[in-house]
Formats: sequence, C-alpha cells, structure tokens
Amino acid sequence: MNRRTVFWRTLSVAAALSLWWLSSGTLFNPILVPAPHKVAVHLWEMTADGEILFHAWASLRRVIVGYALGSVLGILTGVAVARIRIAEDMLEPPLQFVRNITPVAIIPLAVNAFGLEEPSKYFVIIYSTIIPVVFNTAAGVASTPQIRVRAAMCLGAGRWDIFARVVLPSAWPFILTGLRVALGFAFMGVVAAEMIAAESGVGYLIMQSRNMLLPEQMFSGLFLLGLIGLVTDRAFQFTIGRLMRRYMLQTAAFD
Amino acid sequence: MSWRVLRLEGVGKDFTRADGGVAEVLRDVTLTVERGSFFTLLGPSGCGKSTLLNIVAGFEGATTGGASLDDKPVAGPGTDRTVIFQDVSNALFPWMNARENVEFGPKMARLGAGERKERADTYLRLVGLDADAGKFPFELSGGMKQRIQIARALANDPDILLMDEPFAALDAITKKHLQVEFRKIWSETGKTIFYITHDIFEALLLSTHLAVMTAGPKAGIKEVFQLDLAEPRSPSNPDFAAMYSRVETLIDEEVQRMRAR
Repeated sequence: MNRRTVFWRTLSVAAALSLWWLSSGTLFNPILVPAPHKVAVHLWEMTADGEILFHAWASLRRVIVGYALGSVLGILTGVAVARIRIAEDMLEPPLQFVRNITPVAIIPLAVNAFGLEEPSKYFVIIYSTIIPVVFNTAAGVASTPQIRVRAAMCLGAGRWDIFARVVLPSAWPFILTGLRVALGFAFMGVVAAEMIAAESGVGYLIMQSRNMLLPEQMFSGLFLLGLIGLVTDRAFQFTIGRLMRRYMLQTAAFD
Repeated sequence: MSWRVLRLEGVGKDFTRADGGVAEVLRDVTLTVERGSFFTLLGPSGCGKSTLLNIVAGFEGATTGGASLDDKPVAGPGTDRTVIFQDVSNALFPWMNARENVEFGPKMARLGAGERKERADTYLRLVGLDADAGKFPFELSGGMKQRIQIARALANDPDILLMDEPFAALDAITKKHLQVEFRKIWSETGKTIFYITHDIFEALLLSTHLAVMTAGPKAGIKEVFQLDLAEPRSPSNPDFAAMYSRVETLIDEEVQRMRAR
C-alpha cells in the first residue's frame, strides 16, 4: 500500500468511528447504542476473561465441521450433476427449488429434525455451503473448453485422465469461487442458527445481549463477526494463492 | 502402426438445426492422402472444412461414408492422429508450463520421467522454445503458444497432424515466420499433414497437395492439385503466381455461387 492509500483508508475508518460516536447520544439513545470507546472497553474485558475466545471458537468449530462436509458434498454433487446425465435429471429440480430457500428459513426445520444440539447447526452450515458449491462446480465442469478435452483425447488421455487432469483443473477457478462464497454463507448460517437455538457462539452472544440489555456486548459480538469473517476470508485466499495458484492462471487475478 | 493412405470415402454429414430442420453440410467427399504428404483442404468460410477434420480426428462420426487409415476405419480419437487447434489458449493446459504441456502425451503413454524429459527437450528445441520451458501459456504470445501446441503434438509421435487453421489468428509477421518454420519441421519430421485453411497464399506456400472445396451446404471437393512448385516457394515465382490465380478463380466461383443462392 502506498501512502495515499494508507491515508484514505485511515480516514475512512476514522470517519466511520466519528459518525458512530456522534450519533450515540444524539440520534440514538446512548444506553441502547453506546459510543465506540465504551464498546472498546467492554470488548477488552470480554477478551481478557476469555469469553470472546470461548464464543468465537464455538462458532468457528461448527463452521469448520459443517463447511468441510458441505464443501466435499457440494463438489461431488456438482461434478455428478455436470457429468452424469441421470444425476442431472434427478438432482437439478430439487436443487433449483431449494436454492431459493434461504438458510435462515431452514433453521426451525433443522431444530425439529436434528434437535437443539450441534447436529442442527451442522445441518444449517452444510446447507448454506452446499448450494453455492454445487452450482459453481457444475458450471465449472460444464464450461471446460471442448477443444481442451479433445486435445487431451488426441494425446491419449482416457476417461479418468480427462476428468482428473483436464476437466477438474479447468473447473478449479469456478469451484474455488463457490467455496469462497460458501465460506461467507457458512458464517451467516451459523450465526443465525446460534441466535435461534444455542448456548454458545457469536450468534448466541449477540442475541443474549439483546435479551439482557447489554448493548456493549452486542457491539462486541458484531465486531467479532466482522473480524472472524475478514480473517477467514484472508486465510482462504492466502491458502489458495499458495496451493492452487497454477489453476488460477487461466482467469483474472483471484482477489 | 504403419499405414500408407488416409482415405475419405463418400463422406456426408448432416446436422440437426436448432429449428429441427436438417443442415446438409458435406456431400460425398472422397479424398486420398498419401503418407508423408502435406495435404491442404482449402475452401470458403463455412463450407465444412472443420467438420471434415473432426471426422478424420474421430471427434464426430460421418452421416454417410467415413475415414479410414488403409482399411482400418476411424472409430474415434487416437494417438495416431493429433489435432492442432486454432484456439490455442483453450487447447493448451493453462495450469501447466510449456514443458508440462509437451510432456502430457508421453505421460499418458506412461513413459518414464527420463524419456518424457528427453522428448520435451527435443521438441521444445525443434520449435525454438527450449529457453521458455518453464513459462506458463499466459506468459507467452499467440505464436509461442502455437509452437508449444505443435511441440506437444509431435512429442506424442503421431502419424498425422490434423491442423485446423492453426495460424489464422496470428498477426501477419508471426504467421509468416511460423509458416516457413513449420514447413521445415514437416520436412524434418516426415509427418503426414492434413491442413485446413481459407488462405490461398498459405496453401500454396506449404502444401504438396491441395484440395479446393465447393461452397456449402452440401459441400464437396471441387478440384485436387498436386503442387510441384519451384523451391523455395515464393509469390514472385511465375508458377506460384499462375497457381494462385487459378485457385483464386475457383474460390471466386464458389463465393459467387453461394451469393447467388
């Protein structure tokens, strides 16, 4: 970043904080919408006593499990839809239908079906993850240039080699885009699920602070959400940049 | 596999159009391509040249007739026939560097790392890209990418190269260089070439045999020439110029016929 960029970005953050600070006590009731410095103090206390870490880890753990399962299932399903005629005929209608149902709306069903414990959270996260991954994977697999497949056939590649060495690598940019979108969806899913039925996690933290009139804690939870999202997305990009760089050469920069 | 002639016999091809009608693209195409020759198929745009090449490659089946090597019918793609595509960016594997692209065929043939490397070295040198072996396609110009595609095909040691307007998308200077170099590569490797173009100049510069196609639909072969032109071939040679105008007249006739329809 050059000095110009640093200047404007710092100014942007400062402006946002000032607006918040000014509006608390004027536009909004300062008890319900506390000023940023009060939130900062509270955030520090919650960090010091480990409460932040406890809730952050609770959410993160759920996301790791659900996202991993959802990604694997999503890639396999997407490949099947794009490559196997019967799979397309059988899976396309339900997928096209279900993709319109937002993960938040599925939470009551998840609780009914899988109870109040972890499995219902996993279900919601898998559901949030799988939809973007399936559709992006299928699009990527289907968009493999025909002549690339034909070139590989001329060079002696059999069906498996064509899939593993040509179709899948051609689809990686699409699949990774789907996985990145899904990571954001997974956090939305878990927070919503925790707000409705949970005893830990950032979503629970936020909902509890509303119920118990602890606005500083609510803001701390929101800040935490932003931070976790930012860090995981950066970590995702960093990992892709390291491991999958050669597959991203075929498209514009991944950022 | 040792064969003597590639035969196309009574090849016809129909496509079902989007509106459900039938497009009759090719009708009764019969050709004989001798082993070792540089056989060019020249025709106006949209006459079905690429369709014919796809049939020889085994990507598409003919509606009637078919292609065969000696008496063995072409039933699908095979390592004895390698296609060089015009759209080289999609034809190459963008996630592989030049060397890895060239080694793909040998890898599919389950050759060991030593021999793969040797082959890649040989053919990257042949196309003049040995210094760029580590570069990825996106780092290379269109002409360089096309060289890699040629090296990749040759590294697999096919009998025939099927070339679908391979230099048509290149700038004029690059194209000229590649044409000259490719003719050298052909004479050094002794491969049979089945070449498609709509460029008369290119056809006369490169080929030993030239088949001019009629305009589609129901395209066929108008005339076949054996080109015994003075070497080195040059548009300023009288025989080259005479042949040029002769072929141009044939093509013009076809374009007129297409317009009159």
